[in-house]
Order: sequence, then structure tokens, then C-alpha cells
Amino acid sequence: MSDETTSREVGDKDYVAIQRFLFREAACLDRRAFDAWLDLIADDIVYRVTQRVVRDADAPAIDTAIVDEDAIALRARVEQIKSPRLTRAENPPSFTRRFVSNVEAREEGGSEYFVESNILLFRTRSNVPEGSFYAGERHDILRRTRNGLRLARRTVRLDQAVLMDGVLSTLL
Amino acid sequence: MQKVNGGKRNGKTAHHWVDSKAGTVERAAFISDEVYRLEIERIFDRAWIYLAHDSEIPNTGDYVTRMLGSAPVIVIRGSDGGIHAHLNSCRHRGTKLCRTDSGNARHFVCPYHGWSYERDGTLITTTFDRHFPKDADFSKLALIPVTQLETFKGLIFGTWNADAEPLVDYLGEFAWYLEAFFGRTPGGMEVLAPPHRWRVKANWKVGALNFVGDSQHVVTTHAGPLALDPVREARKGFATVAADSFQVATRNGHGCTVSYLPPGMEEDAYQTHPADLMPLYETMLKPEQLALLKNLRVIVGTVFPNLSLIESQVSPGEKAVTIRLWIPTSGSEMEILSWILAEREASAAYKARVLKKGFHNFGAAGVFEQDDLELWVSATEAGHGRVALQVPYNFQTALPFLDKPEPNNTWPGRIYRPSDTEVAQFEFMRHWDGLLTSGA
Repeated sequence: MSDETTSREVGDKDYVAIQRFLFREAACLDRRAFDAWLDLIADDIVYRVTQRVVRDADAPAIDTAIVDEDAIALRARVEQIKSPRLTRAENPPSFTRRFVSNVEAREEGGSEYFVESNILLFRTRSNVPEGSFYAGERHDILRRTRNGLRLARRTVRLDQAVLMDGVLSTLL
Repeated sequence: MQKVNGGKRNGKTAHHWVDSKAGTVERAAFISDEVYRLEIERIFDRAWIYLAHDSEIPNTGDYVTRMLGSAPVIVIRGSDGGIHAHLNSCRHRGTKLCRTDSGNARHFVCPYHGWSYERDGTLITTTFDRHFPKDADFSKLALIPVTQLETFKGLIFGTWNADAEPLVDYLGEFAWYLEAFFGRTPGGMEVLAPPHRWRVKANWKVGALNFVGDSQHVVTTHAGPLALDPVREARKGFATVAADSFQVATRNGHGCTVSYLPPGMEEDAYQTHPADLMPLYETMLKPEQLALLKNLRVIVGTVFPNLSLIESQVSPGEKAVTIRLWIPTSGSEMEILSWILAEREASAAYKARVLKKGFHNFGAAGVFEQDDLELWVSATEAGHGRVALQVPYNFQTALPFLDKPEPNNTWPGRIYRPSDTEVAQFEFMRHWDGLLTSGA
């Protein structure tokens, strides 16, 4: 993430644009508009999701990655869950609702913003009608391009050491 | 260990869940909490159970916490460099000494009243030693050690059963296969990251059976990743079962399925194991074990009861070895722990690639894994009712091959061909039924 000493908080105008981007992106996923979501990622994206390891408070924290993908692998993952014939986990599809909050954004004068946010995902499936939650912090890099902002890097740090609802088959 | 009554309940003849003539297994075996309680008593608190990999605790004082049957345990690298395992519960009032997944401990201090223990479990002080009776024997207040603890090729197993046969005998013929994956270089294998952990509402045996060898589910369940994988050329042959592929069942219920590349997809076109490590394999493995690995597309296997392995291609010349534990938490739920390993001698770059490509496929967000689990959960859901419980699961494609292994001089264990029947799975279930029924 960006260095506090060399970066500065973005101005209100940029902040609104960043938040608008995050909301639109979350809406794409909730509406299963996966192609529109893929249009928002950069070709050199690194998309990661981690789960926690429970450690003593004075021991170095450890996260273990459960997703760590470049654009090729990420596109394959998306293609799988969006294609009715290619997925069991997402056919019938999950119902999802993403809540994005606590957005903080900094810049260092280049073409990229360093953005942190909280994500809360509520999800129900045919097997899990009562629903389940995923919560975590996201560390993103958003890049300014001629076509608008693009997601260039995302690390989702889930607040769970054990995922309680089986295998993660959705995006955060 | 609590003595069980020879499998007879209420004086009646032992109940069997597996019907060897019909090729079926009662559905309750995959649902019922009563069966779960019997399994804990007769299998998980008695058999050798996998705890950890040696490479998870490389330094003095490194520990991980795991379950051994019904009990939480600490597995720690002692001051003597050896591995110790103790019940994770203070001898005073039962508090857990470690409430973390992993860490490094100089010694254990109970957070409740301050009893403290060495890494080897010896009691250091209760902090109130002066108030104990004069004849109190503090040497009897050490942490309860795991009754037997042994390591095979870096795989650490424990058991609460003082009468359990030595680990290498328990693994028996299956040890030969494990050697080809965990003992093929001088340094052995190394766990590349802490385990993925997730819960799923499915019985632990569903996972164990899937990895013993369920060749019949691959094409239907995994249509997505097979069609989409960036190395899809390498996977094209999944629908074709190479004729030399085979299944293995051994004494004590272990089993695996060995699938070879079909003709035309041999190593020239699609190199399998990493070329720079092959010379090391040759120093460690027997010619027959090297032959086992040649043209290998994928192997899945299960060490009875709940340790499974899969070695699969992540790209040409790159193999991810995944191991996992299916830990029962009730009759219809389990917790899964999953690790990815590579040869210790492999380069850091190779390990990093194998790790992330490996868990792209198999792990807490794996593109193969997600479809399996969805279907396992739906079987659990459909099975709970009184009506469905009367309809057994079907393993009939095992029947024509049961008790008819191929005569062979190459591979240890009982060998079955073709590799896409349910014979190895059914043999696993028959062994399970024997343990649950006899209680011996």
C-alpha cells in the first residue's frame, strides 16, 4: 500500500469518482453482469483473497492466500461461474448483496490511487437459504485510464480463519 | 481406551451399513450423528490419524494445533529437535494452553491459573506448589502426551491407541505409493503455506471416497474447469481413460487411483514432472516407483481414514501435490484442511507458481473444489429425511471387480482395472464397516 509520508489523501472530486467506481463494480457483481465487471479490470491485474491464521497477539500475523490470480486465471474463474453449463456451484446462481464502505483513498501523484475499503457480502444459495456472510478489508489499486478507472490490484483480507460456508465461488 | 462391546448392541447381531452382495451402503453412514459417535470411538480415537507435516514446525518451539480424534492437540518441535504432541488442555482445570492455530512457544503457561509446562509436556510449576499435599507427585501432572507419535516421510501421525501397530505397518503397501510423492528427493516435501480451512455440510467420507478414486464424477462435475483451464490442452484427455490406469486398495483401507496420459499425450508433448528434479527422484526412488510417475496425469489417494492426496499438473513440467484432512465435526458436517507442497529442493519461483496454480484448482476457493462441494452438500440435504434414509447409496460398479484384483508383479496392493469403477471406494467402505462393526 502507499506510503503515508509520500502519499496524500485524494480531493473530494476524486474521492467521489473512486466511490462511484467501487459501487458500480459491486453492482455489476450483484447483478451478475460479469462481462461488464471484467471491463473494469486492468490486463495486469493481480487479484488476491486471503484468510487469516489465528496467532498470538505478539506473534507476526500470517494470512494465507486462497485466490492469487492474474487476468487469465481470473477471467477463467469468471467464465466458469457465469456459464450455466460450466458451473455447479453457481447454477442455480447465488443471490448476493455487496456492501462497500469505509473508503479511504490516497495518491502519490502518478496515475494510480491506493484505495482501502470494507466489503460485506451477504449470500444465499439453494443449499444455504439462511445465508452467510463474508467480511473483510480490501486494498486496491485503481488506475486512471482514458476509459476511466480500472482495477489494477486487489487484495481482499477476509476476517475468517475458517470459511464457514464451503468453498468460495464468488468475487469480493 | 474405552472397551466396546464387540459390535453387538442390545445383544443383537452387529449392524452392517455396507451390503457387499448388493453393492450398496446405507445412507445413514453419511448422515447420522449416531454413526459419527461410533466413528469417533472406533476409528478416530484408535487409528493412526494425520496431524501435521514436519515442515510446518521447522524450528525449536514451533507448534501447530490440530484435532486428534475427539481431542485438540498441540504438535510442537521440542528443545531436543524432536516432535512432541500433547492434549491441548491444562491438567488443572482444562483450559487450552494454545488458543491459536500456530506459533512458537518457549514453554506453555496456562492463562487461567498459571500452571506452566515445558515443550515436552513436563510440568514446571503450578505456581502454588507449596499448597499441595506433601506427597504430591508433580511428575504425574505433565501434559497428556499423544499415546503414539510417528513420522513417515515428513507426514506426522498420532494415535490414542497404545496397541496400534507401528505406523509403517499400518500404512503397509500404501507406504510405497506415499514414498513416490513425499520421499522422492533427499530433502523431502515442504508445505508451501498454512492450510486453507473451510467447513462444509457433508460427511467426511464423501471427501475421502472422492479421493480414493471417483473417476466417474470428473467429467460431469468438473465440466467448467476442464473446458476453461489455461492449460486445457493438458486436460483434454480427461474423458479418455488410458488403459494402463489402475486403482489400488490395500490392507487397512487405504486406496488410490492412478491415471495415465492417454496415447498421444506422452511426455514429449506434455512433460510431466519437473525436469530438473528428476535426477533427484532417481537417487531416492526404486525403478518401479519411477515407472509409476512416468506419464502420470493425476493420482488421487486416501490414507484411511481421512488423509487424502492429489498430485495434478498445473502446467507442463509443474506438479502441485495437495494433501488434505477431512475432519468430521458431526454426522453431516466436516472441516477441511488443505495444503500444497513441493520438493524442498525446488526453486522459490517454482514453489510460488505451484502454490497459486495449485489452489486455483483445489482449495478454499478452488475452481474444481467449488463444484464438488456444492453437490456433496446437496446430497446431505436430500438425505436427511426418514424416506430418503431408507434408500442406500449405490456402488454397484464395484461388484464385477470385487475380490478380483489383477495378477501383477509391479505395483503393491490389490490392483484393479479399468480405473473408472467404484471398487477402491467400495473397499474403503467395507474396511470402514468392519471397524465400525467389530469395534476391534
